[in-house]
Amino acid sequence: MKTNCETVKNSLGAWLDGELGHADAEEIRRHVEGCPSCSGERRRLERVQVVLSGVLETEASRVAFEPFWDGVRRRISEERPRQARLWEWARPAFYPQRIAWAVPVAIVFLLAIFSLVQYAPGWRWGVNRGNVAAVDSIDGHGFNVAVLRESKTKTTVIWLFESQEEDDEASGEPTAKDPAF
Amino acid sequence: MDLSDWELVQRCQNGDVAAFQELVAKYYRKVYMVVLGILNHRDDAMEVAQEVFFRAYRSIQGFKGGSAFYTWLYRIAVNLSIDFQRRQKRGPTELRETMDEAVDNAEGASSANDPFLDLQSKELGQRLVAAINELTPDHRAVIVMRAIEGLSYKDIGRMLGCSEGTVMSRLHYARKKLQEKLGPYL
Ligand SMILES: [Zn+2]
Repeated sequence: MKTNCETVKNSLGAWLDGELGHADAEEIRRHVEGCPSCSGERRRLERVQVVLSGVLETEASRVAFEPFWDGVRRRISEERPRQARLWEWARPAFYPQRIAWAVPVAIVFLLAIFSLVQYAPGWRWGVNRGNVAAVDSIDGHGFNVAVLRESKTKTTVIWLFESQEEDDEASGEPTAKDPAF
Repeated sequence: MDLSDWELVQRCQNGDVAAFQELVAKYYRKVYMVVLGILNHRDDAMEVAQEVFFRAYRSIQGFKGGSAFYTWLYRIAVNLSIDFQRRQKRGPTELRETMDEAVDNAEGASSANDPFLDLQSKELGQRLVAAINELTPDHRAVIVMRAIEGLSYKDIGRMLGCSEGTVMSRLHYARKKLQEKLGPYL
């Protein structure tokens, strides 16, 4: 099959760029040499490339090294150590005027936690209702106490009194059957 | 890869700024051409080209020599330029004023005795810059890389993060567009 101009023109760029395999390249070359239309196309393609390179090369030749390097060096020396940049990034958080809003927010937050602790639903053995407290020990060391650990800093000690009945609930405050801690 | 480049890179990795200066001296014009070709604006190109070398310096520890240094460098240049171009919408090019001289340099030898061709080439240079401005940054990148370095499609694909086939079709499209715009001047 004879190579047609359309096909050749589609591959002309890749051929000029040396990106075609040997056989394809040879076929294109033979066609272009004998086809005025395709050789004209080839000349136009080359011209675009040559003029573009020329424009960019002329521009680049005007850029002197010293000022260019000065700009690069300035950027390098301006880059502070990583820690300094990190601090710079984090520092605004510590400005007094910036944290002013945080004070009432923190107070409200603490109050909310406090009231949750106060009014949260009761806590039963074996049923964790989202309360973060954990029983550390019951009747540990032979004393009649339950140790309820609510946080790292808050531990509640509850005195246990022996119940006369065989109660399912293993603990309870003396005055309440359903203890709410 | 080029042994002397690799040696310089290794010295940079040990904190030798003078070695980096040598690499900059070797490649700054090429990088500037890549960036200028994509941005079409001298001042922006200067800024971005310097930033390219700064970024290269900052991440030189991550360069393991798997590819040529210039491939790695051009990739930074192309990415920064395309990124910059997308963020910054520039007006018409300001490069036209240098077109006469550029075209003289490029074609001086071949058309020295043909005033008509000279005139045509100058016109062509001006039109070309305007036409390139209308291409997308991706298309500009492939045509510029090819025009500057004669890089292989494989290398260009590696730099742009696309396949050789994509490079080929982008180049084909970009050239076709340029020819459409430049028709009578070619
Ligand atoms: Zn033909």
